[in-house]
Amino acid sequence: MLKAEGLVAGYGAAEEILKGAWIDVEAGEIVTIIGPNGAGKSTLLKAIAGLVPLKGGTVKMNGADVTRQDALGRSKAGLAFVMQEKNVFGTMSVAENLDIASFGNSSGMAARREAIYARYPVLAEKRKAMARTLSGGQRQLLAMGMGLMTEPKLLLLDEPTAGLSPKAAEELFMAIIELNQSGLPVLMVEQHALEALEISTRGYVIVTGRNAATGGGKELAADPEVRRLFLGG
Amino acid sequence: MTIVAQAILNGIMTGMLIAIPALGLTAIFAVLRYVNFAIGAYATVGAFAAWYVNTRFGLGVFPAALVAFVAGGVVGLIAEQTALARLRPSGALAVAIASIAVNLILENVIRFIFGNDLQGFDLPIARDWRFAGLRFGPQQLQTATLAIVIMAVVFLFLRFTRFGKAMRAVADNPDLGRLFGMDPARIAMITVVLGAGLAGVGGVLLGLDTAIDPMTGSRLLLSIFAAAVLGGLGSIPGAVLGAVMIGVGEELAVLVLPATYRSAVGFATILLILSLRPAGILGERNT
Ligand SMILES: Nc1ncnc2c1ncn2[C@@H]1O[C@H](COP(=O)(O)OP(=O)(O)O)[C@@H](O)[C@H]1O
Ligand SMILES: [Mg+2]
Repeated sequence: MLKAEGLVAGYGAAEEILKGAWIDVEAGEIVTIIGPNGAGKSTLLKAIAGLVPLKGGTVKMNGADVTRQDALGRSKAGLAFVMQEKNVFGTMSVAENLDIASFGNSSGMAARREAIYARYPVLAEKRKAMARTLSGGQRQLLAMGMGLMTEPKLLLLDEPTAGLSPKAAEELFMAIIELNQSGLPVLMVEQHALEALEISTRGYVIVTGRNAATGGGKELAADPEVRRLFLGG
Repeated sequence: MTIVAQAILNGIMTGMLIAIPALGLTAIFAVLRYVNFAIGAYATVGAFAAWYVNTRFGLGVFPAALVAFVAGGVVGLIAEQTALARLRPSGALAVAIASIAVNLILENVIRFIFGNDLQGFDLPIARDWRFAGLRFGPQQLQTATLAIVIMAVVFLFLRFTRFGKAMRAVADNPDLGRLFGMDPARIAMITVVLGAGLAGVGGVLLGLDTAIDPMTGSRLLLSIFAAAVLGGLGSIPGAVLGAVMIGVGEELAVLVLPATYRSAVGFATILLILSLRPAGILGERNT
């Protein structure tokens, strides 16, 4: 499904942040990327989504090379990226946020919006509310809903549970599982590494822009080295 | 009492006219994040373009206002692309200062073309109506109606059209807009055309019942800026509310102060708002 190889990217003239990282996601998977702060996890997702220019490597979606495509091209190829922060338009209503998310392809927009309301009734209730008045969990659901408006084949989530209460984080993980079971593969970066790996088919450990370890979700969660480095035990 | 009521009425009327260029200023600020002081000159450009087609070809107020919109928008876009946009990497302050220079240059270009004299529009003279001791001119009614229609069109455009929503989205969060296929640079240029065009229309409406000269827009600049700051820079309803408040404030001030102190209202408002509540009445951000 997604095959990203040898990714090299950074910001401006400074040293590269990604130094050859790679990621595979197969149909039906939940894949989690973990790693220390500043390792380049967010940069990796941005590079896959087309928000950071690549200086090396390739990104393929379902066999098609999208390396030369910009963010909109990658979105049309089926990638939806939910940023960690500022991932909704705070001064616009929930309904407007969903509508504007289909700016690149607005045919059948109303039906897609209704489908998202059916999936997340809390958004339907709050459809007229300004996005910045939503709780953290609701805002994250809206951001995911905006991604779904583009009818993606793969959902990229950057720390979806960051800043959420344990209960809201738990609910969000449930929502991610439910989305995945409806057929959508998910690639996410998570700080709640243990919980995320528990629900993942596979995981990657990224350290200083390179792949440090990879394996099945539960297997990685049990790996003593991984536990020592990231799970505080 | 009647004097006060008349002053308030006049203030609301002037305020609705100031609101049009104030909408332009605030829209440009919302998307491009700088205060464009050249909006004064764009208003003058619009006023002279409308005056020209009015006195030369006998165009009425409505078509002349349309010409003013186009003239203001085109000049605004040219100024943006040749000068202001290039300075954006140096920060909002550099662009704002450059816009003062653009204002001066345009003012003098107009002076060079049309001379320094006062120019009057060629409009039928109509007698004022009187009601409950208040005076009200047919011309005022016409410009007020036009102002309300323009404001309504701007609101509906921003609220309901795909492009209007994209404009608000980019004003809110350009990076996220880009992710969903919007082109912030292109939307910024269209905002400049819209904002400068609105300034152009405001210039005509404000010039109609007096006369215009190359300084017309620059003299209004303080009131326009004060209106946008009072309402909260970047807030569309704020610009309208702020403009009406400034209009009324100025009319009331000249009841008790010499007329030359009219602009003190604008200055005092800017000073007070910026020091006490920088986000303005309806401002959403604290930038
Ligand atoms: N927009 C940016 N401009 C410059 N440097 C950045 C930018 N975003 C991130 N970085 C730098 O890139 C490195 C990796 O950041 P990031 O990918 O966000 O790491 P992670 O998500 O793993 O914590 C950090 O050193 C960070 O300071
Ligand atoms: Mg990150």
